[in-house]
Amino acid sequence: MLGTYFYHEILRRTVISFGTIFNDIHIRHKNSTGGDISDIRVPLAYGPIQKFLARIEQQADLNKATQITLPRMSFEMNSIQYDPTRKAGVTQTFKASDGTNLKKVYMPVPYNIGFELNILSKLNDDALQIVEQILPYFQPSFNLTLDLVDSIGEKKDISVVLDSISFQDDYEGDFSTRRALIYTLQFTAKTYLFGPIADTTDGLIRKVQVDYYASIDRENAKRELRYTATPKALKDYNNDDSAVLREPLTKTETRLSINSSSNLSADDRIIINSEIMKIIEIVDGTTITVKRGYDGSTITTHLENTSIDKLTAADDALIDVDDDFGFNENLYSFTDSKDYSPSRSIDI
Amino acid sequence: MALNPFFLQGSPSEQRLVQDLINEQLTIYGVEVTYIPRKFVRKQTIIEEIQSSVFDDNFLIEAYVNTYEGHSGAGDILTKFGMSLRDELTITISKERFEDFIASFMAAMPENEIELASRPREGDLVYFPLGQRLFEVKFVEHEQPFYQLGKNYVYELKCELFEYEDEVLDTSIDEIDTTIEDIGFITTLNLIGLGRTATATANKGDGYISQIFLNNDGSGYTGTPIVSISTAPSGGTNATAVAITTNKAGVYSIDRILLTNAGIGYQSPPTITISGGGGTGAAATCSIQTSEFGVISIAMVDNGVGYSTVPLVTISNPGSGIGSTALAIATINADTEVSSIRIANAGIGYTSGDTPTVTVAPPPLITGIGTFRFNEIIRGLTSKTEARVKSWDSDTKILKISLVGIGTTVSGFIPGETIVGTYSTVSAASTSDGYAIYSVKSYDHTDTYDKYDQNDEIEEEADTFLDFSQSNPFGTY
Repeated sequence: MLGTYFYHEILRRTVISFGTIFNDIHIRHKNSTGGDISDIRVPLAYGPIQKFLARIEQQADLNKATQITLPRMSFEMNSIQYDPTRKAGVTQTFKASDGTNLKKVYMPVPYNIGFELNILSKLNDDALQIVEQILPYFQPSFNLTLDLVDSIGEKKDISVVLDSISFQDDYEGDFSTRRALIYTLQFTAKTYLFGPIADTTDGLIRKVQVDYYASIDRENAKRELRYTATPKALKDYNNDDSAVLREPLTKTETRLSINSSSNLSADDRIIINSEIMKIIEIVDGTTITVKRGYDGSTITTHLENTSIDKLTAADDALIDVDDDFGFNENLYSFTDSKDYSPSRSIDI
Repeated sequence: MALNPFFLQGSPSEQRLVQDLINEQLTIYGVEVTYIPRKFVRKQTIIEEIQSSVFDDNFLIEAYVNTYEGHSGAGDILTKFGMSLRDELTITISKERFEDFIASFMAAMPENEIELASRPREGDLVYFPLGQRLFEVKFVEHEQPFYQLGKNYVYELKCELFEYEDEVLDTSIDEIDTTIEDIGFITTLNLIGLGRTATATANKGDGYISQIFLNNDGSGYTGTPIVSISTAPSGGTNATAVAITTNKAGVYSIDRILLTNAGIGYQSPPTITISGGGGTGAAATCSIQTSEFGVISIAMVDNGVGYSTVPLVTISNPGSGIGSTALAIATINADTEVSSIRIANAGIGYTSGDTPTVTVAPPPLITGIGTFRFNEIIRGLTSKTEARVKSWDSDTKILKISLVGIGTTVSGFIPGETIVGTYSTVSAASTSDGYAIYSVKSYDHTDTYDKYDQNDEIEEEADTFLDFSQSNPFGTY
């Protein structure tokens, strides 16, 4: 029943991002006159480790001269629990894009991951320095923004909540045991687990078409009007270099001196840098007049020799996911009795 | 009931005999350990603890190993904080020998460094040569055996392996000091053995922009704006320039515009457009020279190395002595090299026969010299930062250091600054009064040697999927 292979490394990413919060904490020591004499970045590691690896890496020299170096912090994941308070509809889906393909994604399942951060220090003051640098960030949560699944590019805010703080200071007793100072901070990271993600056969919507009828009696009524909307490019995609500006253009000029108008015609939309213009008139072979700042673009100055590109249907076809675009709108009137067939994409 | 008056219960001469016998047994059956007293650098009051310590004395003393069958304690265990070596050791030393040969020296030390000098102290270190390990005295037992002939003759020291943090271990015995050579928080200074003066050549041309005049420095330029100069007539070379921004009393504006290429073939002053950078209002014009030659660009031949500050650049005068000399300004990069030289004024009056030369001032330190020693304190002459040497590789010029921040700042060392040692290691004829001296190529704040530390690995992995652009209420992290 189960068995569709997928592995998004979400739990691993949650672990790493939790560790990132604490990986640059420093402590400082002072001399008798109050001057800083040392600055230590507190080493942090994920606690659980393969035993032989710990031995060969951390104790390469069997006769290591010291017991351990302090202070140290370690963290580990210690629970995984479903969070019903963040539950979303089980059949609800959303579409996401990895830049080229559209993906169909079921709503992620909310899980709370429990983490424990342990701080071992030699001096109480060190532990206080560390803890004091952590606590103010948690009120009681601190948000991380994660790209949980590469293939859908969906960023999620993961709230890391500080649940409790406890500490152990074994200073009492005989002298056969050393004082151990361990602070333990319990956290909950509210993450999301995604199931398998499939490519969808659905493409991008590139055209919207509405047919208007004069009556709601569709058996007998004739269609009267059709409205279509298609995306309109607001930047040049095919780099057609239709012409070149021959003189610098100020913000107020509407008469352009260009190298050749042979590739241009009246009503064409052209773009220079990021300013879109509409050609009013082809005056002669090297001069055109335009309407500046067309399609909501910003009027700017342009230097001579800047290339002029035409915005055409070829550009419209190249509009990609997440691009800004406008709309080409068209209206058609009908006198026939045909209907549109969505399956054959023609009027029948 | 009174004691029997016909027995002494231990006379001074008997007690001395026992002590002598014990001393002799220890010298026969003992191990020669090094006793290293702890000196307090800073004592934290209220939360009573010694925050910083120095171990810089050594006293040899013979000791009998009580746990002769091996170390006691829990042995090597894996904890959530990595490997922890819980070996323990119990040794016995002579009370008389300690009082005669160690306590008297300790008593002479400053009172604020040594709190108690009359007996072995908990917290002091014992270097145990079998295994070359450092033990910290955990407990001193003075009544074992219990008052034989009315007196105690030995101290029993219960020790366990030292927990190292950032204590200074400078006993002057290399065998002991180097036990902590590779542990603790160690950062890396990449030093320059040999500084090198940058060299460059000047290209000349005519029909060039001799100078750019900044008529309005604008405002709001938090980023670097783009300076566009209209093109040269056909057959010429286009001029290019960069804007240098500045921040005066919170207002970001353009400080000056420098030419990276003054162009060739301009017959009339080109238009200069300043765009981007988040600001507005800046405007500039320029003057051109159409008949005479000037320095239009400067090409780097050798970027040099060892520059901490921007060096002075001088260009030779026009050969005729008439006109004005070109002015150029260097930029340096993070590797302490001169990355480029830009033209502030292309000069006037150079002739087609002139070959203008470019001279870049040498870096502050040409030759690094000397050998840094373990535990030596080094000092950055610009940053005033101090640190202690962990190790020095004279081939790669890598200096591993710890305890960075002894001094006036903990901001770390600055690339290009000069580092001076404090041990005499080179001849007094050198510029550093006999100390090793080098300049800094780069300073790595992170510890790449600790085998437990995963801080950087975590950061690198997280960079691929964590969105750091999200701000937090306390600023950057």
